[in-house]
Amino acid sequence: MPRIELIDVSKRFGKFVAVDLLNMVIEDGSFISLLGPSGCGKTTTLRMIAGLETPTEGRIIIDGKTVFDSKRQIDLSPAKRDIGFLFQNYALWPHMTVYQNIAFGLENLKWSKEDIRANVEKLLAMLRIDEFAARYPAELSGGQQQRVAIARTLATNPKVLLMDEPLSNLDAKLRMEMRTELKRLHVETGATFVYVTHDQLEAMTLSSKICLLDKGVLQQYDRPLGVYNKPVNTFTADFVGNPAINLLPVEVQSVKDGNVMLSNEAMHVSFKPTELFSVAKGEKVTLGLRPELISVTDASEYKVEVYSSLPSGMETIVRFKIGEAILNAVVFGSLDFPVGSSVGIHFTSDKLLVFHADGRLLGTGSVQHLTHRK
Amino acid sequence: MDIRYQVKGFFKKPHNIILFVVFILLCYLTLVPMVTMIHDTVTVHTAEAKRLKLPVGAFTFEHWRKVLADSSSINVFYKPFLNSLVTSLGACAIALGFGGAFAWFVTRTNMRWKRLLSSLCIFPYIMPSWTLALAWYNLFKNSLVGGSPGLISSITGIQTPNWLAYGPLPIALVTGLHYAPFAYIMIGGILRNMDANLEEAALMLNTSRLRIMYKITIPIVIPAVLSTFLLVFSSAMSSFAVPTFLGLPVRYQVLTTQLYRTLNGLNPGQGYVIASLMIILGVSILAMNQRIVGLRKTYTTVTGKSSNIALVNLKKMKTPVSLLIAFILFCVSIVPLLSFAIESLILRPGDYSFSNFTTQFWFGTAQQNSMANSEPGLLLNPKLYSSLWNSIKLSLFCAASAGTIGFLAGYAIVRGRGTKLATWVNNLAFFPYLMPSMAFSAIYLSMFAVRRGPIPALYGTFFLLVVAGTVKYLPFASRSGINAMFQLSKEIEEAGLIMGVGWFKRMTRLVIPIQKSSFISGYLLPFTSSMRELSLFILLMTPTNQVLTTLLFYYNEKGWNQYSNGINLLIVIIVIAFNFLINKVTGASIDKGIGG
Repeated sequence: MPRIELIDVSKRFGKFVAVDLLNMVIEDGSFISLLGPSGCGKTTTLRMIAGLETPTEGRIIIDGKTVFDSKRQIDLSPAKRDIGFLFQNYALWPHMTVYQNIAFGLENLKWSKEDIRANVEKLLAMLRIDEFAARYPAELSGGQQQRVAIARTLATNPKVLLMDEPLSNLDAKLRMEMRTELKRLHVETGATFVYVTHDQLEAMTLSSKICLLDKGVLQQYDRPLGVYNKPVNTFTADFVGNPAINLLPVEVQSVKDGNVMLSNEAMHVSFKPTELFSVAKGEKVTLGLRPELISVTDASEYKVEVYSSLPSGMETIVRFKIGEAILNAVVFGSLDFPVGSSVGIHFTSDKLLVFHADGRLLGTGSVQHLTHRK
Repeated sequence: MDIRYQVKGFFKKPHNIILFVVFILLCYLTLVPMVTMIHDTVTVHTAEAKRLKLPVGAFTFEHWRKVLADSSSINVFYKPFLNSLVTSLGACAIALGFGGAFAWFVTRTNMRWKRLLSSLCIFPYIMPSWTLALAWYNLFKNSLVGGSPGLISSITGIQTPNWLAYGPLPIALVTGLHYAPFAYIMIGGILRNMDANLEEAALMLNTSRLRIMYKITIPIVIPAVLSTFLLVFSSAMSSFAVPTFLGLPVRYQVLTTQLYRTLNGLNPGQGYVIASLMIILGVSILAMNQRIVGLRKTYTTVTGKSSNIALVNLKKMKTPVSLLIAFILFCVSIVPLLSFAIESLILRPGDYSFSNFTTQFWFGTAQQNSMANSEPGLLLNPKLYSSLWNSIKLSLFCAASAGTIGFLAGYAIVRGRGTKLATWVNNLAFFPYLMPSMAFSAIYLSMFAVRRGPIPALYGTFFLLVVAGTVKYLPFASRSGINAMFQLSKEIEEAGLIMGVGWFKRMTRLVIPIQKSSFISGYLLPFTSSMRELSLFILLMTPTNQVLTTLLFYYNEKGWNQYSNGINLLIVIIVIAFNFLINKVTGASIDKGIGG
């Protein structure tokens, strides 16, 4: 079973650094997402693993075999890396039928006619596209094309499956369905999946580990819930989660008995860190609050005015202002709040985050008191 | 990383190998000849040695002085240059006037028979550029400059004045009419794709039709108009056959005819100077065009969703206008063919009475044609068949090599996009398009007239014609190759690469079958262009390897009207038949190409 190692991998296009000294180990049989905004280097990384792009420097090892090493001048062609690649636009060959598309790779390996037939039919059945075998790609819907592309990629039975935003061209409902299929396929094939996406929800729901990249630099490589609950900096905190995390600029008023007093122009909070971290009085920090960790409750003394309310049935997003900042809170259940009405709020969790002014996480903790600033 | 490894990595990619090979090839076939020719402008040639009292091969600025700063310069360069300017500008005005007006009628009014007239309109553009010139000559020539009168003089008994029969007016007119379809395609394309909302928005504001026209429609098509203007201008500047037919009878010289005269005469050095000047002019015009086209993208709104704008209702004028346009198109597309047929069938030129008609110039044997210099009728004439065969052979070779190199270059340029080498190859492959054909062949004449290193003197060989044609038509093929490859996402090929499919198989099984029609049109454009090419081959031709077009020129120089008209009819028929065939087979039509 393959394990993929990237060691000090960099890719530069002229002066532009697409990927900068990336180090990462992808365990066998795992499902890894490369996540980040467009231009962060995630597709480049995937293509370097595949051998479609030549790294400027570094080493790539797949299944114990060095497939690229800039120092030892090794650069194996994609064909010799035993990988499959699923393209964003599917890249189905428009002049071949579904059957021919899937069979082409096997014909190239000089398989016998019968073996090809058996294998293609197995794949057609597995992906539930048997009825389309004689059709051309143009005669299929997006979702069906997607299945053909998967079947074609699986035909040669690769040990590693690399996927470049394969679901981005599908509509929301189909995407949901294909996510399920992909997770099932991952178990059925036992292969290592490396998946590129800019959709944090996809990365969260699918992967065993997320690799978050920004501007070519690895930000965080962790389990999805790890990234969600303990983001290493404001970038990763902001990138995962929908609605996005509330990042509230505050100032340290005092540090006393392990409690940190934080405030902005409209509030004071007393923050109790889970583990002590060092801040000084007068320091500017950022308070990170996931929307679902803000409870809207009449029991709270701290009243805010509803700025807007977006009910969606299952939950309602309530927006309100604290000073100049607009915050999101998610309230579960079928509720609505009139704009302009007054509600009480409180920060209830021990998973609140405090970030340093430069963005990195200082620590987690809980809020003891929330009061208006007079 | 050491250099050896980098080089190895570079050549591991097939497109880099292609880029490298094509780069070397094109350097040798475009840049080196350029340098050779520039060297020739300052060298004494055998024909000039006696007059200049200098040894052959000596360095001299005499050619430049003679052309640009001598008492004879007026006649050698400035007057032909001015004539070229005048006729080319006139041709532009006519092409844009006719083409633009027709485009407006087709896209913006309720004119009748749009589809039919639209295809009839493309006709003159498919035919060789001199077709209209020869037809004009047939109809309007007079006996004032010697020879027989044309159809109009014969029938009416009135001598057509020289200004109408020859010189700048007819040259500008027929060149303009030949390129009018090009203007129609360019401007019509913009008008058709223009978001009708732009005009409708103005209509809502209660703007008058006329105001919409000059405040909105015209500014939007202006870039297309400018670009058409420049392309027509440079094509007209490099046209050779038209001024030969319509200018030479009254000694009206333009740059190309002057170039032909000097190169074929005693002043090759001066010819090379003129050729250099023409290339500079051509390159700067097309550089201007590139700029305009580059800018155009920024503000032409092309949307696929444009609703149909309310067409201008011509009301009572609908039928008369449609008839008038139909009549004009009939005159420029059908009348010439009739005129060639008639001219090839009359015994004594100038006599159009029915008794004077004969088929002997088509079917007569050498004995029967004793009065026509014992030249056998065209269909029995071995010269015709050998030149027809030469034409086809030449076109096939040019198409095969230009098409293949062009496709490979297009593939490699797109795959290697962004690298310096790809940019260089891209520019080099387009370079021949910028050079006037006549000047281009002058370069080759200069380069290959003598043995250079391991390359023997190639002048007079069929091979040289193939090389010249291949390089000259490479832009067509490489453009269509580039377009095809841009339409094909690289993932299509990579999907094969990952499965371990080799390069050759990826080409033959994936890339080429998918882009079949562009691939074929990359071969067909050079083929048809070469079938109707005159000015590129005329300088490189020797009597032993005539092609149809040079045979036409040969008969015309001899004044054997029936033969030249007959051959012209044949060329037109062959070219049209091929275009029809291409259209049927590939669905590609000439209005989709870049034109030439």
